[in-house]
Amino acid sequence: MAKLNGGVGRRKILKGAGVMAGAALGSTVGAPMIWAQNNKNIVLRQFGTGVSNLNEVAEKCKADTGLTIQMTALDSDACVQRAVTQPNSYDIADIEYWMIKKIWPSKVLQPFDTKKLTYYDKIVPLFKTGKLKPDSVIAQGTAPHTVGFVEKQDATTFAKGETQWFTMVPTIYNADTLGIRPDLVGREISSWKDILDPKFKGKTSILNIPSIGIMDAAMICESAGIVKYGDKGNMTKAEIDKTIEFLIKTKKDGQFRAFWKTFDESVNLMTSGEVIIQSMWSPAVAAVRSKGVACKYQPLKEGYRSWGDGLAIAAHLKGPQLDAAYEYINWYLSGWTGAFLNRQGYYSAVLDTAKKFMSEDEWGFWMEGKPAKGDIMSPQGKVMEKAGTVRDGGSFDARMGAVACWNAVMDEDRYMVQKWNSFIAA
Amino acid sequence: MKHGRRGPAFWLLAAFFTLFVMFLYGPTLTILVLSFQGPTGGLTFPLVGLSTHWFYNLFETQLVGDIAGALKRSLILGVVVMIVTMVISFSAGLAFRSRFRGSSVLFYLAIASLIVPSILISLGIGLLFRVLGLDPTWYTSAFGAHLTWTLPFGVLIMLAVFNRFDRRYEEAARDLGATPWQTIRHVVIPIVLPSLIGVGLFGFTLSYDEFARSLYTAGTFNTLPLEIYGMTTNITTPVLYALGSVTTGVSFLVIAVALVSLAWVRRRRARHGSDAGKAA
Amino acid sequence: MTRISRWTTYFQITPLAAIFLLFLVVPIATIVVVSFFDYTTTSIIPAFILQNYEELLLSPVTWQTYLQTVEFALITWVLTLLIGFTLAYFLAFHVRSATWQQVLFLVCTIPFWTSNVIRMISWIPFLGRNGLANMTLMKMGLIHQPLEFLLYSNFAVVLVYVHLYTLFMVVPIFNSMMRIDRSLLEASLDAGATGWQTLTNVILPLCKPGIAIGSIFVVTIVMGDFVTVRMMSGGLSASVALMMANAMSLLQYPAAAANAVVLLIVVLMIVVGMMRVVDIRKEL
Repeated sequence: MAKLNGGVGRRKILKGAGVMAGAALGSTVGAPMIWAQNNKNIVLRQFGTGVSNLNEVAEKCKADTGLTIQMTALDSDACVQRAVTQPNSYDIADIEYWMIKKIWPSKVLQPFDTKKLTYYDKIVPLFKTGKLKPDSVIAQGTAPHTVGFVEKQDATTFAKGETQWFTMVPTIYNADTLGIRPDLVGREISSWKDILDPKFKGKTSILNIPSIGIMDAAMICESAGIVKYGDKGNMTKAEIDKTIEFLIKTKKDGQFRAFWKTFDESVNLMTSGEVIIQSMWSPAVAAVRSKGVACKYQPLKEGYRSWGDGLAIAAHLKGPQLDAAYEYINWYLSGWTGAFLNRQGYYSAVLDTAKKFMSEDEWGFWMEGKPAKGDIMSPQGKVMEKAGTVRDGGSFDARMGAVACWNAVMDEDRYMVQKWNSFIAA
Repeated sequence: MKHGRRGPAFWLLAAFFTLFVMFLYGPTLTILVLSFQGPTGGLTFPLVGLSTHWFYNLFETQLVGDIAGALKRSLILGVVVMIVTMVISFSAGLAFRSRFRGSSVLFYLAIASLIVPSILISLGIGLLFRVLGLDPTWYTSAFGAHLTWTLPFGVLIMLAVFNRFDRRYEEAARDLGATPWQTIRHVVIPIVLPSLIGVGLFGFTLSYDEFARSLYTAGTFNTLPLEIYGMTTNITTPVLYALGSVTTGVSFLVIAVALVSLAWVRRRRARHGSDAGKAA
Repeated sequence: MTRISRWTTYFQITPLAAIFLLFLVVPIATIVVVSFFDYTTTSIIPAFILQNYEELLLSPVTWQTYLQTVEFALITWVLTLLIGFTLAYFLAFHVRSATWQQVLFLVCTIPFWTSNVIRMISWIPFLGRNGLANMTLMKMGLIHQPLEFLLYSNFAVVLVYVHLYTLFMVVPIFNSMMRIDRSLLEASLDAGATGWQTLTNVILPLCKPGIAIGSIFVVTIVMGDFVTVRMMSGGLSASVALMMANAMSLLQYPAAAANAVVLLIVVLMIVVGMMRVVDIRKEL
């Protein structure tokens, strides 16, 4: 690498090959050469899950702001790993709230100054107080507001309430439930425990990401009356044991067809008919439907398991690159991306701005639970929903208001993960 | 078996061989067919129309991931690994002809390098870099990891080649006044060249398709196998199969080129006799 | 004859030695060292503790997983050996022209140029509940319900192993066979041995080195695999390497390292056992 810098102009290297640019960024400590007069020369390296790490967002960002965002998609575990072990390999981390609970103490990220976030005041209160409306009940698990703030810029523990230092800017979130093939299940599905119906033997699936899977399992065990939890978002060892024991038994009985790790795997399982009822993410349901396969995102009486994603900035960012990161995130919340994400069935963190980029019909369908007046299109221009359909689960308030728990990192996390692994290996 | 007509054993075995070939090619053909899936088709049967949509799609920006970048990295890495493997294997092959201290230790290291599961090497190098506070990248740590896989093959092949090497050619060259370097350049290299090309090609393939050894060593940017693995979990369209079909196609091409070049070397040698004669 | 100077030799061998030292010896040593470290959710702490080994070796899951992995290795070994030997035998003794041997070999190797991961996943549309195999069998009226065990099962895992790794068995066995002096076979037949007796009493013993080398390859690859297990069992089965990969992805490096050390010992023991059959240096 060092040799290259000698002969050829630096600019040219950066332009010439994205590979080299990234390489140079990663290997040259401090890398003062990247700073330039305008955004054209600024490259921000972002990693995240396949959910939100979308090339289309990067392209639009380039067009609007001139910033180049390099995206790398990883699965959830790999995200945590990358964040902690290779802190210089990225500038922006696109991660989930439970991940930040694991990552933050290792000091690889820095908090946002809320004063520099243009749309901070408009961010949905769920991420600041844990309540959707002033009178809502706070859900169990790692709720975003509990890991959303720190007292000081360099604090390693989270603050109790709202402060000036925001660990992560929320971008997308959703309420998850079971997805079903209405054409194949042949019965009413109304509770998490229905996934245990012997009729579905060998045709069910849950996900194999410990922090998320354990919450699905908890919803199932609780609804089936197998385990009574004090706080399922923060289980005791005994509760973990019981839950895992039950999962192992269910697995040995052949109830599960497979486990999935990324949302696309769940799509493939569902479209190919390998699985007819499984824990799913909303856009995955949309993706199954876009392939012409009937799929329903079934609201359940116990409520939803929710998750939230956000952008965090690496501790090593400073100067113009840090400014660029703020610019990128302010752009992110300014509406286009929000609308783009809403149209896939996620929710954006700032609703007001996204609304401006959506048609009235789209807004009514996705956010207000109204029947679609015309066909609802995906961001890629494919028909997702025919006119007249209503979104499964209804409006934003109905769905996000019925969240029973968030994906969680518990106090007994290490123990839980070990147990979870024994379940997968059993 | 001895002579004459082919008995039933031959036909039985031939049938078995054919079955095996079908078994080998079956899945490849499945994905070849599925890569012509219509634009709304999924990863599995049935076919929803026929199209070349996914081949075009392959060269467009994907929803996630960066195939072109990964391919470029894998190609560069493969070529560099190939060259380095050829040079080091050749040099080590020369060295192993004479006894030296530690020669058997090195020999068993080469064997160990082959039999230690790839993921352990990957883990070890990843950990080492982490402990040292270095960032793993595909052109440092992954490069080294790949060499631990290609070099043992290269060295063992070169050992075998030099075991059968007639040293009188070299002696003759020296008697004719050739310097050691000239001897190597004009006598040794031409004789072992076909094997050396084999080592190189083998090295390229091993590196190009290496997954486990890249896993914890590639750093920020994926090599192609890692990218493909990532895609299997992040892609729901037959574009993955199109990629498979294209890589198979490219492989055919590479094999064809390799065969032609080998044939060319042989022909050339047949025409000129041994190159050794030209040394002086 | 000019003696090559000692220095030249050392000069020629240094690059190889350096690479093995840097990327093989030191990393393995690192694994051993780290396996005694302590760790928390996000960091590893230099220490000397045995807790990682205790947790590993006292957990029944570890033993189950090792057992499962050895079982995979054993079944795959038997199958690849039987298939590989038969194929090599056909190529070496029944295909008479060298050109044909080369052509048939090439036919077998071409699929190996496609990415392993892609070849693996291409089984999925074939084996799935609504896959080609089930559809065909149902159309033929042989079965009425789709066969569930075809995909996301241990069957699928072994099938893919055999698919991917049989060639590693064929090549060394074939090489051994080609070195057998044909007059030995003539002698055996002339002495009144049947074809079968010749096979078991002459060819088989002479192929031992090839069989050993092929077996070492297949067994070590399967023992260290996790991608196939992960993909083809749909996450339902585990292997040792998968356990390690899981621990790695959850940042439990010391736990993964301890497991790696144990795996290394197991693999080395297996290989040393096999090496007794063959002196690799002599085989070159």
